[in-house]
Amino acid sequence: MSPSSKELVKYPFYLIVHPFNGYWELKYERSNKINLVISFVILLLLSLTNILHSQYAGFLVNLYNPKSMNSLMEFVYVLVPVLFWCVANWSLTTLMDGEGKFVEIFNSTCFALIPLVLINFPWIWLSNVIAMEETAFYHFSNSFALIWFVFLLFVGNMTVHQYTPLKTIMTMLLTLVAIGFMAFLCLLFFSLVQQIISFISVIYQEIVMRG
Amino acid sequence: MKLFNKGGFRKRLAVCALSFALLFSSGAMLVQAEGGGSSYNYSFWGNTVVAPAAYDATALLTGDDLGVGSLKEPNDLHVTADQHIYVLDSGNNRILVLDSNYALLDVIDQFDNAGQQDGFSNPQGIFVTEDKQLYVADTGNKRVVQLDQQLQLVKIVDSPQSELLQANFDFQPVRVVVDKASRIYVMSTGVFDGFMEFSANGDFTTFIGANRVYVDPIEYLWKTLSTKEQRSQMVQFTPTEFTNLDINDEGFIYATNGDQWGDNIKKLNAQGTDILRREGYFEPEGDIRYRPVDGPSRLIDIDVADSEIYSVLDAKRGRIFTYNGDSHLMYVFGGLGNQLGKFTAPTAIERVGDNMLVLDKALGEITVFETTAYGRTLNEAVRSYYRGDEEAAFQRYMETINMNANLEFAYSGIGKALLRQGNYGEAIKYFKESYDNKGYSKAFLLHRKAILRSYFPTIMTSVVVLLLILIVWRKVRKWKGGKKIVTIE
Repeated sequence: MSPSSKELVKYPFYLIVHPFNGYWELKYERSNKINLVISFVILLLLSLTNILHSQYAGFLVNLYNPKSMNSLMEFVYVLVPVLFWCVANWSLTTLMDGEGKFVEIFNSTCFALIPLVLINFPWIWLSNVIAMEETAFYHFSNSFALIWFVFLLFVGNMTVHQYTPLKTIMTMLLTLVAIGFMAFLCLLFFSLVQQIISFISVIYQEIVMRG
Repeated sequence: MKLFNKGGFRKRLAVCALSFALLFSSGAMLVQAEGGGSSYNYSFWGNTVVAPAAYDATALLTGDDLGVGSLKEPNDLHVTADQHIYVLDSGNNRILVLDSNYALLDVIDQFDNAGQQDGFSNPQGIFVTEDKQLYVADTGNKRVVQLDQQLQLVKIVDSPQSELLQANFDFQPVRVVVDKASRIYVMSTGVFDGFMEFSANGDFTTFIGANRVYVDPIEYLWKTLSTKEQRSQMVQFTPTEFTNLDINDEGFIYATNGDQWGDNIKKLNAQGTDILRREGYFEPEGDIRYRPVDGPSRLIDIDVADSEIYSVLDAKRGRIFTYNGDSHLMYVFGGLGNQLGKFTAPTAIERVGDNMLVLDKALGEITVFETTAYGRTLNEAVRSYYRGDEEAAFQRYMETINMNANLEFAYSGIGKALLRQGNYGEAIKYFKESYDNKGYSKAFLLHRKAILRSYFPTIMTSVVVLLLILIVWRKVRKWKGGKKIVTIE
């Protein structure tokens, strides 16, 4: 059954307000391929929101050094944490009797990001017409979006892996630890590669100079 | 809403155009400040940016020039309101008095103490009140000496008695200031409780303004792990001593301390509470960027001028940092070296009018700095703003940013003037330029109100019209619907 395009747009919104049903559908009733497309669109939109935020959000909520602004890095700042989370989560849950496949974990994570786009995007423009006293609303909405995101992530994880709530919380915390490990290993790997490359280039230079 | 956003875009364009105009105008038509970009300042983001020199060294004074032989380890300077300069020549146990043209007026090396000739012994600090009462921290003799206008001894403050002081207390005054009520504040070596306050007749009253104790976490861990015997061998956690002090016209004591952390410049009120406004882009502490091996600035003297402007002297790199009342860094000058305008061991700074004197302890020289056009303009801008003369401040700040577009806090000064004039839209731009979000918010609120007020009739009219249309639409639909139902029946 191929869902109509209208239904395609409606489904993510349905999911964020009915997470239990929505995620159930995501896992058991809907095509992973289409979900994957939606997921990538969400990631793209989130990156766009972040870029626009750093460029256009109001001065009071966006003290940003234009010299350090890099749109490409904004994509990386979205993509890398999501991938880290998914890989860490998948690695853990395969050992902890999780029923989720990697693609399901990825989709559920991406769908959970919707509130961040939905709430932060209008605020980019709204924040240009607020004064300092009204920034409280901005910060409140931001926190609200974040809490909503975490809740969706929780429900998504629980549904995809068919866990109990307590086990989900444990897995999520462990996932954070695992991300820490992965970041450390990546750092180690990159610095080692860097050293090897510089070692080889030094040897090469020396040979060239002597020859 | 849409309209407003469009306005925002147009505004941004205007800002761009304005900044371009500024860029070109400063290069093309306006006089470049003397000294070009030989000094520096710190930007909002903590980067070092070039700035024109605010002060230029113009003269060097030595003891030989004055005809009194070379100075030996001079320690302190003081300048009175009528611009008489008192130089404390500690190694020669004398005080030189110069007039504002740096010509010698007097040498004070002895006084009459109850019929006997008395002198100083390695004095470290000097202070002269408005009515020319001379106070000398006579360190070697462990006393503070007060002489009157005719250099007659008024009183000697020594061996203070109080239950606050330990029995074996050693009084070694090194710096002294006196407030308008003739209370004497003495900085004494080995005192960790702050400054010693003496009443007008020389009795010790209390300590004020003690520094806080800094506990090194690692040191603390070792201490908790060690035995009592080991602990007694270790260095105690003690508050740092002050390094210098000055008093302004309002009677507030400005003090520096040797801390490498926290607030090392303080403005103390009568209770000894620190009331320095720290609203600059960073804490007033001298250099904020330095190599880790060099460490932060070590402040050893402070001079407070009018309009809450104050300067501190960094002994480590020989630089003089001047801040305004909000602790925005105005300008930096000086340095260590052998040229004119550089020092070997600077020990004291003092202002004569707008000129700055820097005393070099090792060479026994005084360097005279005079303001450049840039320095004068900026000083005048800060003063005008302090006086509340917004119009003059606006003009001076405008001139200042033409000479130094990097001076971010100047934009805030312009913004405040524009705000007062009611030009909110322009004020917003300038506040944004100086990253002053409080000023921005204030100007923005007024701007928004003005815009909404000007569009109020349009907005209200359209709302009313829309409501009317809605009501009519509903009526029509009901009427039609009703008819339909009727026809179906």
